[in-house]
Amino acid sequence: MSPFETFIQQLINGLSIGMIYALIALGYTMVYGIIQLINFAHGEIFILGAFFALFVFSFLGSFVPLNNIVTIIIMFAAAMAGCGLLGVIIERVAYRPLRKAPRLACLITAIGVSFILQNLMMIVWGPIDKSFPVFFKHVVFTVGALRITFMQGFIIITSLLLMISLHFFVRRTMLGKALRATSEDMVAARLMGINVDKVISICFLIGSALAGAGGVMYGMYYTTITFHDGYLVGIKAFTAAVIGGIGNVPGAMLGGVALGMLEGLAAGYISSAWKNVFAFLILVLLLLCWPSGILRKFRNE
Amino acid sequence: MKQKILVVMCCILTVISFGAKKTGVIKIGCVGPITGDQASLGLDQFRALQIAVDEANAKGEIIPGYRLEIVSLDDQHNPTQAVAMAKRLASDPAVVAVVGHVNSSCSLAAAAIYQNARLTQISPSSSNPEISRKGYDTFFRTCATDDIQAPQAAYFAFTQLKAQKVFIIDDKTTYGKGIADEFEKEIRRLGASVLGHEGIMQADKDFTPLLTKIKALEPDLIFFGGMYPEGALLVRQSKALGLSATWLGGDGIYVSSFIDLAKEDAEGVYCTFIGADVSTMASAKNYLETYAGRFGKQHMGPYSAYAYDAANIIIDAIRRAGKSGRQAILAHVRLTKNFPGVVGVTNFDQKGDSTIELIGVFRVKNQAFDYVGPAK
Repeated sequence: MSPFETFIQQLINGLSIGMIYALIALGYTMVYGIIQLINFAHGEIFILGAFFALFVFSFLGSFVPLNNIVTIIIMFAAAMAGCGLLGVIIERVAYRPLRKAPRLACLITAIGVSFILQNLMMIVWGPIDKSFPVFFKHVVFTVGALRITFMQGFIIITSLLLMISLHFFVRRTMLGKALRATSEDMVAARLMGINVDKVISICFLIGSALAGAGGVMYGMYYTTITFHDGYLVGIKAFTAAVIGGIGNVPGAMLGGVALGMLEGLAAGYISSAWKNVFAFLILVLLLLCWPSGILRKFRNE
Repeated sequence: MKQKILVVMCCILTVISFGAKKTGVIKIGCVGPITGDQASLGLDQFRALQIAVDEANAKGEIIPGYRLEIVSLDDQHNPTQAVAMAKRLASDPAVVAVVGHVNSSCSLAAAAIYQNARLTQISPSSSNPEISRKGYDTFFRTCATDDIQAPQAAYFAFTQLKAQKVFIIDDKTTYGKGIADEFEKEIRRLGASVLGHEGIMQADKDFTPLLTKIKALEPDLIFFGGMYPEGALLVRQSKALGLSATWLGGDGIYVSSFIDLAKEDAEGVYCTFIGADVSTMASAKNYLETYAGRFGKQHMGPYSAYAYDAANIIIDAIRRAGKSGRQAILAHVRLTKNFPGVVGVTNFDQKGDSTIELIGVFRVKNQAFDYVGPAK
């Protein structure tokens, strides 16, 4: 393997995990964009997606042997629906009553929700690493010495499709317009007859569903999941959202991919023992240079 | 009227409590990770202790007027938590000895507390050599140490696997780094070239950056000093990247969960273990049957027999001491001579280390650990 090929291989590896970061980062950024809340429970929702999918998988398996593709589609549907619903419930129960409270109260509540979810997962699914079903046994495309596993391709394409549909939803539909209006100015949006509560619920629904999809892919890619996996990945996705400029949807996508790649390169070329340190070092350096992220949130005055 | 009833009730209760035969309790602590990613190891230690204690209690009172009880605590394989749990055990006067901890980092941190409290500690699995070099006279272990395991692993890698170009990975814990450093020292001495030695983060999932780098270096053997959750992921991800090097690990991956997580990619992975295959030992027959009857054979972990021996050494010492007292029991554990246990005849050296120095090598074959033979 030539040094150049190794470099490209590192980028491909970074891109796959970066795409998952990006999907989760979208949830952070959308919620922040609308109610200026950093939803720390989002990482837990992400890994719950993987657990929901695993549950559905073992549930289905005990009835009828289904074809792989159908199973995967059902797993995604269950994870996205489950996480989306959970996101809405959390917002309704934990954040809505605090909407007029100081921001710090919401933030601490979010951390509390995160702990509750994490411990619930431990009680329900146990503390030990769970093995995730493997659908594509090392199906690999090779270009020279470069290897792209089917799963990596699957992650990149599925994430892209989800992000593109989100982009069109936000830019081209009425609800998307309402979403943008609410994030611009909540009071004015309400005066214009927009049902702000509904918009916020939808925002949680979409963000959590995307995280759920990310969770399924995470499980399929790494093949083992644990109840505390959501924490670190969640924090990294949050970092990605900040790097891209929190509150900015394309920024979150870009931030996720950038973080995944930079982290991979740093781990591969400097030291893998400090992989997480690099992820957060990148955050610190970027914040020093661009305090509002790569794509700053433009506002028309 | 109400008051009268109350007085009568109190009198009756007092009479009942005096009437009951009073039995004292001698407690043995059991500390290990019973939640979290390494829970299977902690639970395994606990089950072994349960069998030993139940067997002892079934024979009647351990010493006149006393029965045995277990205090099971969770250290979450976190040294800070280990110290907190050790303090809790130290403050309970009924606790006379401790089986644990599982992880070297935890044993090391907790050993100082036990030393001050004069509590005998016997670890079934903390194999880092540093712990017994600290001079704690309360520390013992039934397993062999990494300074024996790792050089023998290196010897096996060099002579049997013909490794010439080696890459070493460790998980930066007391155990993982310890075993990896010892392995590196010995394999260099034997004449193989070490292409690199890098650490990874425990609980991380993505090791592809490191493995991509290793692939470019083309080693013929990768040694991993660490535990099974990371080990399984490393092996899986290396196969996805098309790495053809042979994997060799320490006893941290000699756990059935390793195969459950790595699935078909575990095939062909070698690992060393502090001891031979217990199921092939005549001395283990009874224990294996008892364990299988109670918990199911498939759940038995690698240190189970070591924990069972540790517990029985303590029980034996209590019997010989004939009284409940930390100092007396410590003295009698130290006096243990040729203890006929499941894993062999145990003696402790000056530092409290077991003198059984057998290191076995296993290879994953058809989704099970297949005994290859002794490393040396």
